[in-house]
Amino acid sequence: MDPAIILQGQGLTMRFGGLVAMAEVDFSLRKGEVLGIIGPNGAGKSTLLNIITGLYVPSSGEVRLSGELLNGQPAHRIVAKGIARTFQSSRLFADLSVLDNVIIGRHTHMKTGVFDAIFNRRKADAELDAAAEIAERLLKAVSRELHAQRHRPAGELPQADRRRLEIARALASEPKVLLLDEPSSGMDDADTDALMDDIRSVCAERPDLALMIIEHDMRLIASLPQRVLVLDYGQKLAEGTFEEVRLIPRVQEAYLGRKGAQHAQA
Amino acid sequence: MTDMTVPARATLGTASGLALVALTEVAGAAFLRQFLLVDDWRAVVGLLALFGGALVAMQRLPAIEAGIEQAFGANRRFAVLLGVAIVLAFPFVLQNSSYALHLLIIAQLYAVLALALNFQLGSANIPNFATGASYGIGAYASALLALHWDVSFWLALPASAVVATIFGFLLGIPSMRTRDSYLALVTIAFGVVVHQLLNNLEFTGGPNGLVGIPAPELFGHSFASPLVIFGHSLPPQANFYYLSALLVGVAILFAGRLHHSRIGLAWNALRADELAARCQGINTTWYKVLAFAVDAFLAGFAGTIYAFYVGFISPDNFTFLVSVTIMTMVIAGGMDNTLGVIVGAFLLTLLPEKLRAFSDYRILFFGITVIAFLMIRPQGIFPQRLRRYGG
Repeated sequence: MDPAIILQGQGLTMRFGGLVAMAEVDFSLRKGEVLGIIGPNGAGKSTLLNIITGLYVPSSGEVRLSGELLNGQPAHRIVAKGIARTFQSSRLFADLSVLDNVIIGRHTHMKTGVFDAIFNRRKADAELDAAAEIAERLLKAVSRELHAQRHRPAGELPQADRRRLEIARALASEPKVLLLDEPSSGMDDADTDALMDDIRSVCAERPDLALMIIEHDMRLIASLPQRVLVLDYGQKLAEGTFEEVRLIPRVQEAYLGRKGAQHAQA
Repeated sequence: MTDMTVPARATLGTASGLALVALTEVAGAAFLRQFLLVDDWRAVVGLLALFGGALVAMQRLPAIEAGIEQAFGANRRFAVLLGVAIVLAFPFVLQNSSYALHLLIIAQLYAVLALALNFQLGSANIPNFATGASYGIGAYASALLALHWDVSFWLALPASAVVATIFGFLLGIPSMRTRDSYLALVTIAFGVVVHQLLNNLEFTGGPNGLVGIPAPELFGHSFASPLVIFGHSLPPQANFYYLSALLVGVAILFAGRLHHSRIGLAWNALRADELAARCQGINTTWYKVLAFAVDAFLAGFAGTIYAFYVGFISPDNFTFLVSVTIMTMVIAGGMDNTLGVIVGAFLLTLLPEKLRAFSDYRILFFGITVIAFLMIRPQGIFPQRLRRYGG
């Protein structure tokens, strides 16, 4: 096995009753690589993310992080092992402050239990203050504007800032692999450009971080990922650079329909 | 916004801040005293109107609330010391009324129960209708220990809290398979089962309950005898007043420390979005069970003090209605706000007593309170606050 491969999936199949949401999908992700995942609605993109993060247990197949089998481990333990994610419809802790959201992202790096919290105040406070400091730095690095709003409830943020906050929260767990589920959904072009710059700077600061991005915005897919994986009806349709993948007739069919694809090739 | 508060806080750290803290606390205590001693229901309604007016003023003029909050934040130590002094001195200004002291004890026990439930309902949004059952388990466990094995109050107190916590875990584990309304149903069922068992088991005395629980003793002083301090004699209830006040203090300490820690954050995350919480590495099952255990632990303490205070307990003290009352206190007072929950507990314990003229309508009164609060001020009297870091 290629030692640079950090996350690998083999023969991933997901059945919900009679419905096959994913069939025999293989993928691999190297250190420092950005992998784009595209496909029409219902192609199984989010299913793949849910399998990797432990929200779904695949019917068959396996997911390995640095060779360690992840299947069947609960979601909270998978985060501790180094896989963080964001959600398509941003799922922030809306009634908590921006800063609290990021501090919660550091949950797996804190140890305070009930007894420490009550009887060993000094230790618990020191740990929480340290987490707050790291969270502040992280917010500042992701976006200065967001940092300025750190004491506001997260629910009051505009859409673009929510996405940034979700990324900051995911980064707080110091992941090896970061999964972004449609980060640009609901954004206009200007916001998407800003988002791409943010993602680039996040990657530049963390050369080893591997990224997996589900996207519909082809501008983003064309410029960020080194490799693209195309899913359709729960199956892997193609894999390669965006330039290669976009020319494959079946990919065009999946996106444009048969007629549209013929036009595109003509 | 934060930049503006810094100079303001600096100026309020001086004499005016201290005066504001003292004024707020003394005014609160004076209000409570009047409320406890007043008899005529018209006067009660007048005092309530005053309280409501103060709330409306705070809502209309957020500057007042912010000013008071800042003063308390800047003079924390002074506020705590003065608060403790007021609590200690309070029985001396009650004209030796044992009834007023009795009401205070019950209100304080309910404050502890409401704070216990707040860990679940307020922090983690777990609708637990079994706090009354945990209260009962604590009361029965300590009473049985005292009656059958002559265990002293001071040993029965922690022992019964442990028993209640074990039952809390037992309730928590099956509850994890359900959520929301189904979870509420499981806890209701647990409460009913506990009540039925207490009613039908032989060793719990059946419907007659347990009688003759001995009063606690401390250094040869029996809690059943009047408390003499500096030549001033207070009714025997004063013993239990101080004891339950101490328990409220412990509960506040627990609440504050857990809230401002990784655990409180995890509970809040769970409340806001359980799936997202799991994806931040929070073991949601464990944190839910933990909330059940902490709730039962504090409720067990309150139950023990109640059993030894009244000296006689029966299953009817720990019905489903008790759990509903506690839940009302948390909702009306303010979810996830310690002060709010305590105010809610006092208000809902004292009001029905003070409005005895309408005692037949007590349940109706609770129903109306809940509906009114959910409509007018869904966040409660004192809503939840955002956390602050680094002093």
